[in-house]
Amino acid sequence: MSEERVNRYEKIDFLGEGQFATVYKARDTKTDRIVAVKKIKIGTRAEAADGINRTALREIKLLQELEHANIIGLLDVFGQKSNISLVFDFMETDLEIIIKDTNIVLTPPHIKSYVLQTLLGLEYLHAHWILHRDMKPNNLLVNEQGVLKIGDFGLAKFFGSPSRPYSHQVVTRWYRCPELLYGARYYGTGVDIWAVGCILAELLIRVPLFPGDSDLDQLSRIFQVTGTPTTEDWPEMKALPDYIQFKEYPRQPLKDIFIAASEDLLEVLESMLCLDPLRRCTAKEGLQMNYFSNKPPPSCGSQLPQPGSNKIIPKEQERQKAGIKRKQPGDQGVLAKRLLF
Amino acid sequence: MNDRDHLSISWHDTAWIPVLNQNNVLDYFSERSNPFYDRMCNNEIIKMQRLNTDQLQNMVGIEYVLLHVQEPILYVIRKQHRHSPTQASPLAHYYIIAGIVYQAPDLCSVVNSRLLNCVSSLQSAFDEASGYSKYSPSKGYFWQFKEKEEKEKLEQKEKKKKKEEPSSTFQRHRVDLLLGELGKKFPPPTMAPPPETVIKSEEGNKPEIKTEIKTERPDDKNPSSMKPPPEKKPKMMR
Repeated sequence: MSEERVNRYEKIDFLGEGQFATVYKARDTKTDRIVAVKKIKIGTRAEAADGINRTALREIKLLQELEHANIIGLLDVFGQKSNISLVFDFMETDLEIIIKDTNIVLTPPHIKSYVLQTLLGLEYLHAHWILHRDMKPNNLLVNEQGVLKIGDFGLAKFFGSPSRPYSHQVVTRWYRCPELLYGARYYGTGVDIWAVGCILAELLIRVPLFPGDSDLDQLSRIFQVTGTPTTEDWPEMKALPDYIQFKEYPRQPLKDIFIAASEDLLEVLESMLCLDPLRRCTAKEGLQMNYFSNKPPPSCGSQLPQPGSNKIIPKEQERQKAGIKRKQPGDQGVLAKRLLF
Repeated sequence: MNDRDHLSISWHDTAWIPVLNQNNVLDYFSERSNPFYDRMCNNEIIKMQRLNTDQLQNMVGIEYVLLHVQEPILYVIRKQHRHSPTQASPLAHYYIIAGIVYQAPDLCSVVNSRLLNCVSSLQSAFDEASGYSKYSPSKGYFWQFKEKEEKEKLEQKEKKKKKEEPSSTFQRHRVDLLLGELGKKFPPPTMAPPPETVIKSEEGNKPEIKTEIKTERPDDKNPSSMKPPPEKKPKMMR
């Protein structure tokens, strides 16, 4: 049985290696479908002692019960000797690659499409009492059809049990919300929403909004934009375990950071990046905001950019341009008039 | 704000004017307070995403390009709608002269405004003319200008009298008094001018005299002793 399954997937390519797993691109010989096979590393003897890797177990446990267009699909799980492998939908790229590709211009419809798909996936997760706890561009996978799927459920967890404290050391720092940075042990969907706010900001400015290099620096970067919160802004703040008073920073208007963003988008951003987690919007509320029903409509999948395949200015044209640029200083004295285009 | 309003306004930022050049003129134009700049343009998206401006060519929509440069005084910026990397249709032109930004009027508004000017002048000419046409059963239609002219002269005089008001009678009296005193202190040298030149110079000086009259008319209570000197002086010079 297990042997059959191992042979079912034909390795095509090596895709990447993470802390806990190696990922391969493979062909499902049964359905002739391209899939991603994530082979979980055994790890140290101590880790192996309590059985299978915890993150893998989380992924298997949660993903087997989930099915949504914007959640990565776990197609199969099989074991081989002491290894365990997870078979996922194959995804071409992820938002991190798209954001970093400077040949891609992200237009307002592109951005709306990505955020919409993320929120739809997240709404589904939260409705099923699951926190993702590691939302970041790198974990938002995009396939060739432009469908965005939330991936990597290694930190995901059921939530809502009032007596069970959770670790606050979750979420990659740049996308970590202020309550986690203040050491909150009881938190909710707000942690994922904050991260989506940061991702939306990053889609707009193409660099991380809060690239903190320590937890304290992270908080001070956040407050430099949102302004240092007062007890009025966030009444429960002082009750958090790691609370410390910060220098008073003035609030910076989002309009000055996201200069080309429309009003309705800034409204969404504002409510996602609300310091008080209780006032932060939920995925459902976010989806009902005007931004998603206003013009322009989100791009359909085929119009979304693909890294690398995007139209780049033809090389010849570029060279011509460079030629013009080189000529310019010499021409200045001779030609009073110069047409640049 | 619609385009019509844009044709009657200008914008500038004095902080920028001394440092303007062809490399930063588009940044100047994209200042938030510039009413001509549409913030929802591709330039702004590129700027926000920190991308190379060459990317503009790959986008579709509104963009601004520097069209023409004549350092250091004139820059022309074009607002256009880009359809493809090779195709764009112009929407408006803006010119920056000595740092002040104006929108160049389109041909239609130029022609419109000139035509309106002509038509309005013609209209008032007709209105004026129709006021002079008279009809009597014995003569039929005829023009009658005299009454009107007299009336107008009266009206004009009234107007002029009204214009005098800015200076009060007290001020005029005082100025006249001072001038009179000055005249007494420095009496104009009286010399008998040769009779031949008098006529000639008088003719030649007519416009000058006229202007003087115009300026002096306001103070009609001018002491008569004051008038001769300015008239005579130019004669002496010749």
